[in-house]
Amino acid sequence: MRDAYLVGAAQTDFGSFPDESYRSLFRTAFEAARDSVPAGMDSDDVDEAVVGTLGVGGRQLGLSGPAATEHVGLHGIPTTRVENACAASGYAVRQAVQAVRSGMADVVLAGGVEIMTDMSGDATKYWLGVSGETEWERLSGTTFAGVYAQMADAHMAEYGTTTEQMSHVAVKNHRNGAKNPHAQLGFECSLEDAENAQTVADPLTLYHCCPTTDGAAVALIASEDVVDEYTDDPIRVAGVGAASDAVGLFQRDSYTGIEASQRAAETAYRRAGVTPDDIDFAEVHDCFSIAEILAYEDLGFCEPGEGGELAESGTTALDGDLPVNTSGGLKSKGHPIGATGAGQVAEAFKQLSGDAGNRQVEDATRGLTHNVGGSGGAAVVHVFEREARSASNSRAAKPREKEREVAK
Amino acid sequence: MNPKIEAVGAYAPRFRVSAEAFEEAWGQFHAAGVNSKAVPDADEDAVTMAYEAASRALDAADRAGADVSFLAFASTTPPLAEEDLTARLGGMLSVPQSATRHVFTGSTRAGTRALDAALSAGPWEQEADDSPPSGESVGLVVAADCPRGRPDSDEDHAAGAGAAAFVLSESGGSAGGAEVRERAEYASEYPGTRFRRAGSEAVEGLGATGYERRAFTETLAGAVEQLDLADASEVDAAAVQAPNGKLPYRAADALGVDTDRIGACATVHELGDTAAASVPLALARALADGAETVLAASFGSGAGADALLVENAGGGSDADGIPSSLALDDGESVSYAEYLRKRGELTSGPPDGGGAYVSVPSWRRTLDQRHRLLAGRCPECGGLNFPPEGACNDCKALVDGYDEVRLTGEGTVEAATVISQGGAPPEFAEQQAQSGDFAVAVVALDGPDGDSASVPAQVVAADPSDVAIGDPVETTMRRVYTQEGVTRYGFKIRPRGPEGE
Repeated sequence: MRDAYLVGAAQTDFGSFPDESYRSLFRTAFEAARDSVPAGMDSDDVDEAVVGTLGVGGRQLGLSGPAATEHVGLHGIPTTRVENACAASGYAVRQAVQAVRSGMADVVLAGGVEIMTDMSGDATKYWLGVSGETEWERLSGTTFAGVYAQMADAHMAEYGTTTEQMSHVAVKNHRNGAKNPHAQLGFECSLEDAENAQTVADPLTLYHCCPTTDGAAVALIASEDVVDEYTDDPIRVAGVGAASDAVGLFQRDSYTGIEASQRAAETAYRRAGVTPDDIDFAEVHDCFSIAEILAYEDLGFCEPGEGGELAESGTTALDGDLPVNTSGGLKSKGHPIGATGAGQVAEAFKQLSGDAGNRQVEDATRGLTHNVGGSGGAAVVHVFEREARSASNSRAAKPREKEREVAK
Repeated sequence: MNPKIEAVGAYAPRFRVSAEAFEEAWGQFHAAGVNSKAVPDADEDAVTMAYEAASRALDAADRAGADVSFLAFASTTPPLAEEDLTARLGGMLSVPQSATRHVFTGSTRAGTRALDAALSAGPWEQEADDSPPSGESVGLVVAADCPRGRPDSDEDHAAGAGAAAFVLSESGGSAGGAEVRERAEYASEYPGTRFRRAGSEAVEGLGATGYERRAFTETLAGAVEQLDLADASEVDAAAVQAPNGKLPYRAADALGVDTDRIGACATVHELGDTAAASVPLALARALADGAETVLAASFGSGAGADALLVENAGGGSDADGIPSSLALDDGESVSYAEYLRKRGELTSGPPDGGGAYVSVPSWRRTLDQRHRLLAGRCPECGGLNFPPEGACNDCKALVDGYDEVRLTGEGTVEAATVISQGGAPPEFAEQQAQSGDFAVAVVALDGPDGDSASVPAQVVAADPSDVAIGDPVETTMRRVYTQEGVTRYGFKIRPRGPEGE
């Protein structure tokens, strides 16, 4: 099986863009991703595309993937839309890696796009509800905030986790997001702001919840056979893991952890041959602040029940031992459903390329991205590793043999 | 021989609005003798109140819904003008599909009409191959009502809510039951005393006080006169139609009963005008209190009246009341503004939108779970599954068929949250606007064998912030939401009282 490499990735600004369409946002992300490839890349080099999106302005299009790629001139290539709720483009990246590793393609675009702010708040909630367990959970009157609040309630009862610890997550992510020019909520917040904000679903306050966001993100995955054409500093996709679980919380064994994340992480670590200790930074799915605390535990950054303390300790701050959500996370950077997972990969690319500006993690050589669909029905984890330059030079240059499905 | 009243059940919503609250809002209060009245929560209606009263009556009789072969539902406020709601009500109560069903509406007399019809229809023979669990087929009569008027009208000032249910059987049950010894009816033309226009939710009256009072007393007296009643003053209690708290007493002379006999069982003073449930509620209270003889006299505008003479067959001056379960105590006071909110007078209705739509056919496929708590036991590992479909939650085996198991309706909170304004799915926005923040829990519902199945459920009848992990809860039936005009009913949970009722 061939190795797959992350050779470029970028995202648009995340926020509210009344003048942009899903296709124009996708174009911005695509061009930025192409431009981020160190040695440059022609659009013609892209063999295949996988696009994650939940819907367009609260509606679904039947061919939103091809509609996005034809808009940016990727004519004729196989394009697939993948949809795993908030993990749509995390899975798109995984699909791209699969296509490359299998030998079916040498360069695959994995992206995502979402337009969420052009409908009323009520319509947004209607639309987001499709990603939950609709027949029982939603009809008990819950939204995602409610389901995560129930997980927070169970976590607090079992481990003594506090709302203040959850607020620390929000404060940290806002602090990081303030350093990210692409972030939707690029301002800092205080612990008091987070603690005293309006309650959305007890115990979660407004500051414990991510915003509604428009945006697009694109990652470019290349095979080991062609990676040298694009970069001298290859970033290897060292490990990929994905897992699914019951969509409804009530049908799971545990309310205090997301088993799909645990399984996905285990697989990704094993395939990468690393442990959580080897991770230099992580972009985790913090749609609600409790979700980041759960992620710490599910990803093995700490023991079950210790996530709250980890958040409080500063370990996951930008200057801590294991910076988490240097981009600002979903909380501050924004959560454009279909673009979220690819957006995390864009941050990982920046960090591993040493291009993260004033939020750069020193000596970042190995990063993890963690993308969750719904309230845990799907999860996908990637471990990205910057190869030493000497290592990349030692790889035998292979002639490029593309297996094109469509002649260009 | 006619069946006997074996047991009674009654229910009133827990909210009360006081006469003072109305007086503060309007500067005056037009429902004499009403001190407070019951206010249905946003997710309650005549069907959910009927379920409450009926399940209480069945419990008191130690009967099951499966014993019922005749079901009558009476209300002037059926949630739908056309639809046989006994199909849904019967489903919630597990009444056999072969049972006879009747809906009585259009008149505040509907409750006693339903009782009269049941008495005439029974006793019920059971089919040899369909014998009920308790060995005897029973009739179930439920009257539930929540009338309303225009906010500034006399009718609305009086309008309350409540439900009463009667289990009828030939044997009268182990306690012997109460016998309806005499029945009579009477009608006299009095147009305009009380009416609801087609398509309107609000009851109106002409406000011609003398005329309406005469219609009321004359018609009631006409019915009572036909009873073979030597001395009406001898009855222990008189259950008299109560459009307000004063009118039944004005009829006392014409009926030949003392006013204190009317007051002995009246519910109008606390619950308000309960329309078709008015006389059934008072009768239920009298029988539960151990009254030996009860005169029941109901009035419906138009004007017609029913009169029934009920004797507790247990007999004797120290006779106990018949088996009963009445939940009529007040729970919580609401202001006049909250009263208007709960009735949906001030809210803007559900928002437009799309997305996570559950179609009516999809809904119907889950009624065994939503109405009857039917879970499934995995034949592979024995784990309880709710809903019982697809692969087993425990062992993940893709089973062909689950063994049917009915959950008990009692359980324990496993995780809870309070959904605040703006945090509810749009389907619940209207309910939240009317009722405020609500709690949603994951609750482990007990199976019959000590294990449990977890389900998500909305919490009712409690301060949402009081709901915590470990709390004991029980299921009840409420409206979930209405989409495309079709109301979805389903179980919700509420705190389980220490009395375990």
